[in-house]
Amino acid sequence: MFTDYIFSISRYAIPFLSVVILLRNLRSLLRGRTEPEIWAYLRVGQENVPVYHWESLIGRARSADIRLFGEGISPIHAVLKRTDKGRWSIYDVFSRSGVWVNSVPVPEAGIPLRHGDLINLGGSCVRFLNLSTQQRQRNENKRTGAGKLVNPAFTLGELTLLQLFLLLQHAYSARQADFGTIALSFATLIVLEWCVYEAMRLMNRMGFEMEIFAFYLTTIGLTVAASSVPEDIYKQILLIVAAVVLFLFSGWWMSNLQRTVSTRIAAGVLALGLLALNILTSDSVNGAKSWLEFGGYSFQPSELVKAFYIYAGASTLDALYMRRNLYSFIIFSAACVIALALIGDFGTALIFFVTFLVISFMRSGSIATVLLAVTGAFLAGFLAVTIKPYIARRFAAWGHVWDDVYGAGYQQTRSISAAASGGLLGKGAGAGWLKGITASDTDMVFAYVCEELGLVVAVCMIAAVILMALFAIRCARNGRSAFYAIAACSTSALMLVQLALNVFGTLDMLPFTGVTFPFVSRGGSSLLACWMLIAFLKAADNRRGASFAVNPVNRIMTWEEEQGIEVVSWGKLPRRGGKGGRK
Amino acid sequence: MKKISTRALSVFLIAALVFTGMCVFIREEYLHGRKWAMYFSMFNPEADGQLLDRNGIMLAAFNKDARVYAKDWPTRVSNYHVTGDYAGMTGTGVLNRFWGSASDYDFIYGIHNERSGSLSLGIDAELNNYAYSLLSQYGKGTVMIMNYKTGEVICLVSSPSVDPAYPDEEPEDGAYVNRALTATYTPGSTFKLITSAAAIENVPDLENMTFRCTGELDIAGISITCMEAHGTQTFEQALANSCNCAFAYLTYMEVGQRLMVKYVTDYGFLSPHSIDGIFTSAGNYPTEFVGDPELAWSGIGQSTDQVCPFSMLRYVAAIANGGTLAEPTFVKGGSNGKSTLLVNPATASRLQELMRNNVVSHYAQEIPSFQDLPFCAKTGTAETGAGTSHSWFTGFLQDDAHPYAFVAVIEEGGFGLWAAGIMVNDIFQHMLQKAGTT
Repeated sequence: MFTDYIFSISRYAIPFLSVVILLRNLRSLLRGRTEPEIWAYLRVGQENVPVYHWESLIGRARSADIRLFGEGISPIHAVLKRTDKGRWSIYDVFSRSGVWVNSVPVPEAGIPLRHGDLINLGGSCVRFLNLSTQQRQRNENKRTGAGKLVNPAFTLGELTLLQLFLLLQHAYSARQADFGTIALSFATLIVLEWCVYEAMRLMNRMGFEMEIFAFYLTTIGLTVAASSVPEDIYKQILLIVAAVVLFLFSGWWMSNLQRTVSTRIAAGVLALGLLALNILTSDSVNGAKSWLEFGGYSFQPSELVKAFYIYAGASTLDALYMRRNLYSFIIFSAACVIALALIGDFGTALIFFVTFLVISFMRSGSIATVLLAVTGAFLAGFLAVTIKPYIARRFAAWGHVWDDVYGAGYQQTRSISAAASGGLLGKGAGAGWLKGITASDTDMVFAYVCEELGLVVAVCMIAAVILMALFAIRCARNGRSAFYAIAACSTSALMLVQLALNVFGTLDMLPFTGVTFPFVSRGGSSLLACWMLIAFLKAADNRRGASFAVNPVNRIMTWEEEQGIEVVSWGKLPRRGGKGGRK
Repeated sequence: MKKISTRALSVFLIAALVFTGMCVFIREEYLHGRKWAMYFSMFNPEADGQLLDRNGIMLAAFNKDARVYAKDWPTRVSNYHVTGDYAGMTGTGVLNRFWGSASDYDFIYGIHNERSGSLSLGIDAELNNYAYSLLSQYGKGTVMIMNYKTGEVICLVSSPSVDPAYPDEEPEDGAYVNRALTATYTPGSTFKLITSAAAIENVPDLENMTFRCTGELDIAGISITCMEAHGTQTFEQALANSCNCAFAYLTYMEVGQRLMVKYVTDYGFLSPHSIDGIFTSAGNYPTEFVGDPELAWSGIGQSTDQVCPFSMLRYVAAIANGGTLAEPTFVKGGSNGKSTLLVNPATASRLQELMRNNVVSHYAQEIPSFQDLPFCAKTGTAETGAGTSHSWFTGFLQDDAHPYAFVAVIEEGGFGLWAAGIMVNDIFQHMLQKAGTT
């Protein structure tokens, strides 16, 4: 009877803790003000105009980051760009009247800028003032640090409590023989998340919201695995460890923008290579040839390709204004989507397509392009439906699943019924019946969670992904580089679409496509890909001391400092052709 | 970068759509959660209870740890279409409904065990075993017997069947179909019971009419034939002879399509029915205008006529009970007096006489053992168009001690009397013998 008592407490505690964790994270994201970093100034007349990004658009247009209204300045005039090495350059983009630096016209490949250079924008002159590391550090100290408002350790503590309650429910429902490995897996996860936290704390990186979201979703994924395949749960926990290591590596890799941008083409080639390998070697499973067997693990290359796709697709601001770049991206995207169609994985093809739309819209800003692409996709989709009968069947069943409970609506009706039978609080981990249905722990995992953990937890899963997306949008505003902003936004778009197809497909609000729920669906490649993807979000988070994937200001030297050239303070600026320094 | 951050709002749009979808789902679950959850409530692992036959034989039992069926193979197989299975392979099993009703739902706690205990069915498992052993020898078909005074169903078998404890990888074609409740067949001559009711109530002077049968009736160039020339007959003799010519004539000359449709509809042959919440199939009758030959065929149970055996059982049970149908149920003890007036009592009483006459003047002449029991019945030999015939036999025992109505269909069984008729006779002989010895 005592166990019954504890069990009923856990039924309330799990949804409650879920909501609390999300609210704390939400508060942390909302309360932190969006304070930009300052990297340099442009001296316009008597005024110092701050440069907030590593890539800034100069011009008259409303969309310009630095709006200047001097004579001869075009709406979109020039791009000011900074590399990791602290070297600034200026590029002429579509200006009518040209750009000169110290009276030298700027070629297409841009021209390097040095502290104090005079930039002539079609007749209006501004002076470029670089900041030394110390000056930037002084600005930086004025910004609010991450983790100051809401202590991440406390949120992580709540998550740990939630994990213990889940373990308790497994103790109640699992077979005695399996409980040992389940407990060990949960313990490993708890140790892992605290290790990551401690490592971050030692590095003074206190923006832990993304990690908490990811660990929260991963915890639910572990519960699903514990309930559905308790004998295989060690595989899942090993994958989680691998995924977190991969996440840390990806974040570190992306902290260096130059390295990141220069390996984009390699990532694209790798993506296409993985897809080609998939087409050539895999066998058909459930209508789609998307699995590779690999030492006891089945491996879905298309999942990993998602991360590489975004990596290759994002772009820096200066490159955005070269059409050629967008065209090669479109060709690359088409190759990916066609490859996925050949594999027969239309759910993933659709996810790629929407991600493509978001990336290309963010790059081009052209709604016409997006509409054109959507029209093209509809035609392609129509073709797919006519060629592949099993897709047509899924579309035919959509909205009518209750008419064919034992046929086309088999999975959806059971999902819906199981989801409803969990109520708000759920039956308890491991106590559902949906686990008896094939693919319930992957394609139908939302219903699985609804049944065992209740609607509140299931809604929290969706909310976690939505909050991650809102966070990415917020980051885009202050991002150092367009690359990080585009990568973060398209990552969240990808996760949202994937989630929508999974959740609403299961519930018959969209056709059933059989894609995974980010972090939660059982299956290795999906989990690895998701953890790699949130590295993109980490790389965009440049709140002060937030992210390990963003180099702190005091560790970024300017080019002058690296070259051993002293950056003179603004008061002592050398003036060319002037009347001498100001006193 | 400002541009990029404005464009980032496209992600916000996607997030808003997902959020909206989530809200829609929450609302839908709030509104329909009970319906959804209860649909597969038999999967609720907490449910606890058992299903017994009328003599206390366990047909199925379930609790948190185990779900089992009857111990012996014949009981499992012959009762399969009554009990159904835990996997929900058939939608017509009692198990689905009663196991499900052991659970209850609310929005906060979801589905949970509501009550436990056992439910006794009116089914006689042993009788089902016997009936199935006979039926399966004939091939595909069904037998259903109910108490027309209480509504209790005491026998329901459908062949082929499956063993729910060890289901075949590749079950026989249609093994999961409950042929009594969810199949429809061409009714053949059993349909003359409906044409008779329409004629009795609408043809003045019917009892004084005579019908001359030459073995063939020509309607607009299409001929309707009998097996033999029946000569001059009264209405009563025409039904006993199952004379196609006489009933074709009655249908298209005397009753007409409008009245036929009215009677078929009123007697419930065109609509699905529910027995304890399990839905049965609707039948078919030409309701759009058809010419005289087609109408004549429809009056003798051919044309596009389709009848669900359960609908026929309701009809004969109502006739047997003086026109009032005691609502059929699987629950032991019957439907507690829930009943509907289906057939005009005077008509029912006349039909009882006619059906008794069928047996006395014909069936008992051919098969003497029919004399042992107070059968009132009608045979049917329904041509399927494939050169074979479905064999029908439906009726009741005119006996207050044994108030049973029955319907039996054997697919491609040949003549009504010689397949279904003999089988039903055997089943009742067996049942009453057993009742006599105990």
